Amino acid sequence: MIGKDKIIEILKKAVSRSKADQTEILVMGGKSYLTGFANNYIHRNVGNEDYTINIRLAFGKRIGSATVHGFSEEIIEKALKDAELIAENQKENPDFVSFAKPSKEVRQFDEKALYSENTANCDAECRAKIAKEVVDASKKLGLNSSGTVETETGEIAIVNSLGVEKYCVRTVASIKNIAMATDSSGYSKSTAVDITKINVEEIIKESTDLALSGRAPISIEPGKYEVILTPYAVAEFISHILYLSLNARAVNEGSSFLIGNFGKRILGDNITMYDDGLSEETIPLPFDFEGVDKKRVVFFENGVAKDVVYDTLTAYKEGRESTGHSLPQPSPYSPYPMNFVIEGGNSSPEEMISNVKRGLFVQRFWYTNPMDPKNAVITGMTRDGLFLIENGKITKPVMNMRFTESVISALNNVIELSKTKKIIYDMASVTVPYLRVKDFTFTGKTEF
Amino acid sequence: MRDIIESALLSAKRAGATYADVRILEREVEEISTKNGSVDALKRSFTKGLGVRVIANGAWGFASSFRLTTDEAEKVAEEAVLIAKASSLTKIEDVSLAEVEIFQDTVHQKVEIDPFSVPISEKISVLLESDKIMNIPGVIVRKGNMYFSKEWKTFASTEGAYIEQERIVSGAGISAIATNGKELQIRSYPSSFGGDYQRKGFELVKSADFLKNAERVAKEAVALLSAKPCPSGIMDIVLGGSQLALQVHESAGHPTELDRVLGEEASFAGMSFLMPDKLGKFRYGSDIVNITADATISEALGGFAYDDEGVKAKRIYLVKNGIFVGYLNSRETAKKLKLEPMGAMRAQSWNFMPIIRMTSINLEPGDKTLDELIAGVDRGIYMDTNKSWSIDQNRLNFQFGTEIGWEIKNGKIQDMVKNPTYTGITYEFWRSCDGIANKDFWHVWGVPNCGKGEPQQVMQVSHGVSPARFRNVKVGVLR
Ligand SMILES: [Zn+2]
Repeated sequence: MIGKDKIIEILKKAVSRSKADQTEILVMGGKSYLTGFANNYIHRNVGNEDYTINIRLAFGKRIGSATVHGFSEEIIEKALKDAELIAENQKENPDFVSFAKPSKEVRQFDEKALYSENTANCDAECRAKIAKEVVDASKKLGLNSSGTVETETGEIAIVNSLGVEKYCVRTVASIKNIAMATDSSGYSKSTAVDITKINVEEIIKESTDLALSGRAPISIEPGKYEVILTPYAVAEFISHILYLSLNARAVNEGSSFLIGNFGKRILGDNITMYDDGLSEETIPLPFDFEGVDKKRVVFFENGVAKDVVYDTLTAYKEGRESTGHSLPQPSPYSPYPMNFVIEGGNSSPEEMISNVKRGLFVQRFWYTNPMDPKNAVITGMTRDGLFLIENGKITKPVMNMRFTESVISALNNVIELSKTKKIIYDMASVTVPYLRVKDFTFTGKTEF
Repeated sequence: MRDIIESALLSAKRAGATYADVRILEREVEEISTKNGSVDALKRSFTKGLGVRVIANGAWGFASSFRLTTDEAEKVAEEAVLIAKASSLTKIEDVSLAEVEIFQDTVHQKVEIDPFSVPISEKISVLLESDKIMNIPGVIVRKGNMYFSKEWKTFASTEGAYIEQERIVSGAGISAIATNGKELQIRSYPSSFGGDYQRKGFELVKSADFLKNAERVAKEAVALLSAKPCPSGIMDIVLGGSQLALQVHESAGHPTELDRVLGEEASFAGMSFLMPDKLGKFRYGSDIVNITADATISEALGGFAYDDEGVKAKRIYLVKNGIFVGYLNSRETAKKLKLEPMGAMRAQSWNFMPIIRMTSINLEPGDKTLDELIAGVDRGIYMDTNKSWSIDQNRLNFQFGTEIGWEIKNGKIQDMVKNPTYTGITYEFWRSCDGIANKDFWHVWGVPNCGKGEPQQVMQVSHGVSPARFRNVKVGVLR
């Protein structure tokens, strides 16, 4: 770790040296480790220390950007020169107004929620011991384990010439297991700021139970089924609307289904979704990559379309404030909801299953992709646990199937939501409950 | 450079490594993207660092750093050994590498026009002029992008390898998105998701002739809005090169990666239906289907002189006369199956450990012309340019959507159709291939964004293909 004082000092010095009208420097980096196991042994074990420095310069409306890896005054100097050269050759961007101005009001947030010594200090042996616990448990059950133990300690700092000065240090830890038998598999993964808060036994149980009960799957015909989607499945299914629909860029570019629908009820009235970087329900992030404090943005309240997320480019153009959802700029995916939440209901997953007369339990979706962006029609496969539910009970494992379904239709067909939610983390944090959805469309099947 | 490498290798051995290799990489990238008449992003990136891979206690360890000094190299090597020793906690058997020829070599890459010598203003003007041409009623978003990179990589191992390689890549593409408020339609050129990429200089951009194609791209995007929907049913299809490249990628490239086959990617990417008992026996496609892995094709994005284990680039068959005969492998996985290493190990950058990657995976040309392929179809669709893709984790059930299609009736191209999709099971699909266009129609398409591994690595690969015909395919799954 380089530390707050040193990073901020060097960045402020660099900003003051810059000849540009506006200067922004973003530093992200730190140490990340991944211990991977497959076939019940550690086959991959890697460590990395890296810092990325992003510089943006504005000469009037001409913006130049440069990225370098490493951290030193010399390398920042190189990036400044690169960005200057680039900006000189740049054309004016009529949409550009300004880099981020300091936030007027800052929400209370305890930065301790971002960081855990337990994660930062989990070394190669600590990670290997967790991996061993998982593979030993799998071996005992005659299963084959494949998964990862990951830790990351990262610093993020942003300084700009308009007075923005932000720094935080965060840790993230994830543990994942796929337990496999010859004709079945089961998935489990958990992410937390503090690695000791991850329940390894629960991961073992969830993944191995699915693998054991998934043996000898039957093949059923595609069609419309009532489904219980676990948080893993829900997160994968809805992940596409984060970039296709729920941000100002998508609204400007015409891909969002919210266009023309603000203030209207277009999802089921049991659907409320928002983004909140400060919520403890997510892996928190107090500000975005332009240094703007995270605001809570409600996308849908009881099915009514409310708002989308903004970065400075999209916000200032409309004369409003950024909501704090910029990615490192320039980015074709910015703005982006990094701390997405779907509000839960009142049921337990067990109750939800017991309410299904005939349907499918879906542990996970895989390789999903939009077929029709505007209508949020997604296709993908089931994976690592698909079961038939008959008269309120899980009865038989089923071979994997392909679905093709619109997120809009599915979120109008939700009959029940679980009270418990789970954080699904993969660069961004998505926190969602179990959903019971009627008439979910499966369009194909496979051979396992 | 040599002293840093020697420090790392020596320190790894001293700490107990039985094998070690070091990679030092330096890469410069320039990216330009334009949108609706202005330059959306103009960015230069630079990265430099070293990665050390070791076997100690019979297990793998890898560590890396951006600090290029002899002291840091020693520290990184020691950390890699420490990590390897932790890995051995769960060891079942010692890691063992297949023997390979050891090389010392320096390889430069020739290009016609060094992309970094071309003024940025010239690059921008190509994109903005295309943008202007695409600005027609109905088009809501016009996009253009260019990518140029230059890298220098040094690989050295405790076995005596010392290889330096240069790599220069150029890529460019344009696209237009049209809308009528209810739906979006997109057209791209020369290919979707960023265009075409090759190991070439700025000559790639010149030969693509964007100004000549921009108007067609925009008009097709608008025309698609009022085109009739792609029909549904079982029918014949002819796939254009840029879509077929993706089909080869997903249904031939990924399932022949031996690390996947052996379960080493099971926790993320998945496994493969091409298990070792099928090698040399399984009918993957019809007799005319020949698929090669060829890293020696000059200018192919998936090509190189040596892979990141120092194995010299090769051309091998993955599918020969329809039979599955080969895998993409590494020294470790080749040894497990008693195969010969074919050189497919690559890492995204210095801070990643190499994994098995596609090189240039190619459908070898056939003997037909495109007209002959179409003339042989009574009722079907000609589809091109990938829009969406999805395939199960064993690479059997796939579903693709393309940007555009045209109905074929009685051997002739008819009306344009929108939202074409097709779906199938990999081997059934390739067994139904009964015509492949000849080498005049063959082009090596660069795919710059193949994701794989944990931590995930993005890799540049490529696919040489010419259009091909498939019989009795399920078309039009979308309502
Ligand atoms: Zn890929």
